[in-house]
Amino acid sequence: MEMIDVENAEGIEVLETQMEKAQSSAPTEIEMSSRELSVWFGKRKVLEGVNIDFPKKSVTALIGPSGCGKSTFIRTLNRLHELIPGAALAGSVLYEGRDIYDRDVDPVQIRLKIGMVFQKPNPFPSMTIRGNVLSGLKLSGMKRSNHDDIVEETLTAAGLWTEVKDRLGAAAGELSGGQAQRLVIARALAVQPHVLLMDEPCSALDPASTLKIEETIRELSKDVTIIIVTHNMQQAVRVSDYTAFFLAAENEPGHVVEQGLTTEIFGNPQDQRTLDYVNGRFG
Amino acid sequence: MTVTFDAQSLPELQNQQIAHPWRKKPPIFTLSVILATVIPLAIVALVYVGTDIPGAVVMTVVYFPLQMIASGIAAFATRGKRGIADSIIIVNAIGATLFSLIILISVIGSLIIRGISALSLHFLYQNNVYVSPSTPLEYGGIGHAVIGTLLIVGISTLIAVPIGVATAIYITEVRGRAVPYVRFFVQSMAGVPSVVAGLFILTIIVATGAFSQGAFAGGLAYAILMLPTVARTAEEVLKLVPEDLRTGALALGSTRARTVFKVVLPAARTGIITAIILGIARVIGETAPLLLAAGSVDSTVLNPFGGPIASIPTYIFNNVALPYPDAVARAWASALVLLVLVAILFVLARIFGRGRLSSK
Repeated sequence: MEMIDVENAEGIEVLETQMEKAQSSAPTEIEMSSRELSVWFGKRKVLEGVNIDFPKKSVTALIGPSGCGKSTFIRTLNRLHELIPGAALAGSVLYEGRDIYDRDVDPVQIRLKIGMVFQKPNPFPSMTIRGNVLSGLKLSGMKRSNHDDIVEETLTAAGLWTEVKDRLGAAAGELSGGQAQRLVIARALAVQPHVLLMDEPCSALDPASTLKIEETIRELSKDVTIIIVTHNMQQAVRVSDYTAFFLAAENEPGHVVEQGLTTEIFGNPQDQRTLDYVNGRFG
Repeated sequence: MTVTFDAQSLPELQNQQIAHPWRKKPPIFTLSVILATVIPLAIVALVYVGTDIPGAVVMTVVYFPLQMIASGIAAFATRGKRGIADSIIIVNAIGATLFSLIILISVIGSLIIRGISALSLHFLYQNNVYVSPSTPLEYGGIGHAVIGTLLIVGISTLIAVPIGVATAIYITEVRGRAVPYVRFFVQSMAGVPSVVAGLFILTIIVATGAFSQGAFAGGLAYAILMLPTVARTAEEVLKLVPEDLRTGALALGSTRARTVFKVVLPAARTGIITAIILGIARVIGETAPLLLAAGSVDSTVLNPFGGPIASIPTYIFNNVALPYPDAVARAWASALVLLVLVAILFVLARIFGRGRLSSK
């Protein structure tokens, strides 16, 4: 029983700090936002009219049942969606005051500033641990001096430094799933993104690794805007400041049912479906 | 709530014996296996000794069906009806494996038996300048042909591998509109008979006077044959590279080109090397294109553009049908050298393919 009490207390504490943060930083500065965003795969419309603002240096959780378009949505935010054959899109994604889908915007530049961590850890198998961390610099052609410092800094930020500092030259394939995921986070940080998209980053991990990554997310949100897709409602409560709830009726495109402060969405939802979902009655 | 164990009831872990409980078979099993092996063999031995039927026929017509029946009965005796299908599949699998092993061993064996008399150290490095088909085996060798083959294969590899890998990259990474057509052409190219490739180079390159017969022209003919093998195999291995790695690289702000060259190709390195090996293995024994495009000489030629050049396949072709036993022995020995050469290339490629990091 004692264990559960402690957990609750921590949860409440997190909520309180989130509320303080949300209140103190108002009016919040917006890092990026989507406007009337609709998405198609071929002829099938999977998302309709999504309007979300992502405040700067905050964590926004995207929740909702499977197949409601959360992952599709997050992939439109750094133009990875367009790599899928048959993909189409309407509406706009605003970042730094302009639509990232404008004709003269280079998707490569967008992805450099809006990094991403995927559901499955995907370190590059042909590179060492160190090589993976620095791979973003190599791949994007970005010049940053002092590679040793970058490696230590980003691996520390991702909570992996103490575990790998003595074997930076080892193959990345030797890491466990949780370590590989943190390596991938360090890799994403090395190119100094302004926004970090995370598509269910903990779904393939054990509870201990999940906890470490959640700590990492909280820590990172001091400098970076984080948008995270999660199926785990407790996780959304633990890590996010804001939440958007996605839902798709059968054979209809997904849309945002409700969004706002995480404390509001979980504590005082306005929509019956949100209430049901966050209380685990469906999905 | 705690559960306590009585120290006496715990197994004595220190004194445990290694055991294989799954290997214990009832005596009837051992007996039926012995009977199912011995009886068909005994019958076959009797048939072979007692009649004039050739051995190969006895093995396929008598032994193989007999063994299947015997194993089926044995399986039925030990495991019941369900064992029969199992035993038939196992006998067939073992039979097929043995059959292909026998073919492989007899090929290598016949090369060694017929070629060993001509094989010597000087056979590997001397050339054929002052040697006629009737010259005794103490003189002459195929050094010039080994150099020629390596030169021609090297040239064709330099031409076909970049083009083949680039084609595979176009199909799997660029994914342009022309992919179905490119794939169709590559497939059709794989069906080009080798003599046609030789004729093509002969008319386009040699007959027009662009280049003379030689290693370069021979390499071009080989490249035509090598290209589809390299392209198809490279395409297959590039398809095996997880999509996650590509999107992962792109999400880091990588361009398409950097993704291909720094992430996808390194991840597929072992596979690409296999593609190169298969390409070399495809061409190295081809004779017709070299007879037409490269010619043949008895002296050592090192210049790819320096006129006709010797090669192992053309050397074999020129010698194997001559009415001199020594010339025939030389041809067989050259075939053996060719085989060893391919084996060495395979081993080298494996060593280089393993590389610094274990790529999964």
